[in-house]
Amino acid sequence: MLAVSDLHVRFGQAHILQGVSLSVGERPLAVIGRNGMGKTTLCGAIAGLIRRSEGAITLGGERIDGLAPFRIARRGIALVPQGRRTFPSLSVHEHLRLVSRGSRARWTIERVYETFPRLAERRRNGGTELSGGEQQMLAISRALLMNPRLVIMDEPSEGLAPVIVDQLIGVLRALPTEGMGLLLVEQNLRVATEVAEEVAIMVTGRIATSMPARALAEDKEAQRRFLGVSAGGHH
Amino acid sequence: MDLAATIVLNGLTLAALYFIVASGFSLVFGLMRVVNMAHGSLYLIAGYVGYAVFEPLYDQDAWYAWHAGLAAGILAAALAGALMQKILLGWMQGQELRQALVTIGVSIIVADQILAFYGGNPRQFFAPDSIFGSTQVPLVGGYPTFRLVQIGVALAVGVGLWLLLNRTRLGMMIRAGVDDREMLGACGINVPLVGIAVFALGAALCGLGGVIGSTAQPLAMGQDGRFLLISLVVVIVGGMGSIAGTAVGAVLIGLAEQLGQALFPTYSVVLTFVIMAAVLAMRPQGILGRA
Repeated sequence: MLAVSDLHVRFGQAHILQGVSLSVGERPLAVIGRNGMGKTTLCGAIAGLIRRSEGAITLGGERIDGLAPFRIARRGIALVPQGRRTFPSLSVHEHLRLVSRGSRARWTIERVYETFPRLAERRRNGGTELSGGEQQMLAISRALLMNPRLVIMDEPSEGLAPVIVDQLIGVLRALPTEGMGLLLVEQNLRVATEVAEEVAIMVTGRIATSMPARALAEDKEAQRRFLGVSAGGHH
Repeated sequence: MDLAATIVLNGLTLAALYFIVASGFSLVFGLMRVVNMAHGSLYLIAGYVGYAVFEPLYDQDAWYAWHAGLAAGILAAALAGALMQKILLGWMQGQELRQALVTIGVSIIVADQILAFYGGNPRQFFAPDSIFGSTQVPLVGGYPTFRLVQIGVALAVGVGLWLLLNRTRLGMMIRAGVDDREMLGACGINVPLVGIAVFALGAALCGLGGVIGSTAQPLAMGQDGRFLLISLVVVIVGGMGSIAGTAVGAVLIGLAEQLGQALFPTYSVVLTFVIMAAVLAMRPQGILGRA
């Protein structure tokens, strides 16, 4: 579905992405790595928010690199950005109306409210009057309502309480059944390995290695080497 | 007592005109962060193009001469605004200083072209009979009807803008764009097109002000600078990008100008800038502006 090949991003002298190649198919792919390894830059480059220096990005075989962000979004890539970036001036309901594709799409506003009853309760509240978990649900709903072919999520578990993280894992695990691709960028090893079957590890702007999620979950040595954490060490 | 009421009413009618013109300026700044130094030029374009349509019709005694002039002026300003955003400013999104300089350049070119084309003689629209003449107002007595219409138009603009921003899809896009343009684009919204629409709308409001203003007072070269300055002062006092703030700023400045002229005519101009300096010192983001 999504194929990234030899993607480079430079900011002046800084070479942030140094030839990233990956592909996402029907099954979710997680990209994990420590802070400053270029994960957020990768998300931004795919969504068109960051200009690439070299490399190609294709969605369903068609080149999307170089397109304006709104055109990439319309081709079917939705972004749940780091920090959630909900709109302070819009109510919950307005966020959903802004991106809704009508009542015949797979994801409708009604379905979002059924899936996240908490959002239905807070439909009149502004985007900043929500808790971190509610904001994350809103950011995810905003992406789902675009009925995309692929969702990119940039550290969705960041700053959430453990019980909310569990809830999030449940939501993310349900996504692939919709035929929607998922590229999940995480620092939280548990979220990555429970949601995705395949995990790519990013080190200084490159994909250092990729392995089945189950293998990584049990490989303490790889975790220590690539992530500098012990198992579940996201606290 | 009558005199005081008249002065207040004069101030409010002036405030109405200032609000119509400055609301467009504020709208454009709010979404696009463009300080449009050619905003006054849009006032001139609307006035002169509108007058070119108005004059021959008026000579033929057509009852719709003023309305046609109004429509032509608004359309001309909206078109000029949309073209300015599409051709010049869209390419330098986010580069505020460059955009300010480009729009100053545009304002100089427009002023010279209008002078070359229409000459330097002042013109003035004549309001249609239905809104000409005078109306009895309590405390004040007979008062020019057109000035009361001016207040009505300003109220309609304020309510209309509020409805647009809070009740329509375009309004949601504009508010979301003020918050986070990049994210709005990532939601699949054609942000450049929204930008052009907002620029056209802001320019149309300025054009509305241009024809209304040139009916209440003469249209001449130099009005562009005057209305740019007033728009700047009004939105600095009221708060950049806030429509309610623009209304508050317009009322304050309109009243201050009229009171100043009545109480100390020689120094009345100073009062406007005293208010601006005081607001900047105590509340730099403007009275209703977001910090």
